[in-house]
Amino acid sequence: MIDDELKVGTRQRDGVWIIDLEGDVTTFAEDAITSAYEKVTAEGAKYIVINSRQSDYINSAGIAILIGVVTEVNRQAQKLAISGLSAHFQKIFRMVGLAQYADIYAGEDEAVAALQKLVQAV
Amino acid sequence: MSHNQVTIEIIFPSELGYEKIARDAIGTLARNMGFDAERVEDLRTALSEACINAIEHGNQRQAHLRIHITCTISRNRLVIVVSDEGLRFHPSTRLDPASMEQKLAGLASARGMGLMLIGQLVDECGFLPSRPGQGNHFRLAMYNPPRRSATNIA
Repeated sequence: MIDDELKVGTRQRDGVWIIDLEGDVTTFAEDAITSAYEKVTAEGAKYIVINSRQSDYINSAGIAILIGVVTEVNRQAQKLAISGLSAHFQKIFRMVGLAQYADIYAGEDEAVAALQKLVQAV
Repeated sequence: MSHNQVTIEIIFPSELGYEKIARDAIGTLARNMGFDAERVEDLRTALSEACINAIEHGNQRQAHLRIHITCTISRNRLVIVVSDEGLRFHPSTRLDPASMEQKLAGLASARGMGLMLIGQLVDECGFLPSRPGQGNHFRLAMYNPPRRSATNIA
């Protein structure tokens, strides 16, 4: 009812697909995030950044959605990075163990640069 | 109640999203008590997770049931009790959820991290004794300065 609806956008940047998240990442975000991931995958994305923009509220249900994305990324042999998390949520992602399976960067530029190295290495 | 202790209560329906009101209110209180920014964020996240558990597991998302939050503030301690109306009794806490490896392999639910997170973010936490049908009461506490050596009370 009072959830800050998540806005999700997708774009391509130098061979890397970006999924922008703006708003709360909670149980209500599942369809939006999953649809965005499926869209970029259908476009042939191999390198994906989930870029959190002004997401002040990420809870365990939201993290569970991202775990689902990581599971699919592994199945599809894609590479995922996460950027834009506050220092607090970077800590939370480390606590739950998600940081071991998706590289976390402070900003989008760093995340894209890291994935571009992989693009160029192919 | 002594003159230097204040109790604040927040009551809201069992609908996901309302926990943000409690999170923001208690975060403001903690900030005013002098907790540093990182601890305030820790508390906000821990309280959100406790509320979500109460909404989803205690009250099973029945909106007509209420979540009660009682926050007691003293000079260096903030104690919060999150209570539901107890349709399902919590037999125990679960601070050791399935590993991320198990979750990613589809061998365990991707959920179930809330209590583990709370346990890492606050100084004390755990369910208070209650009987089935009398509601579940989850207590969490933070001290300023922190008492990280404190153990979970459950």
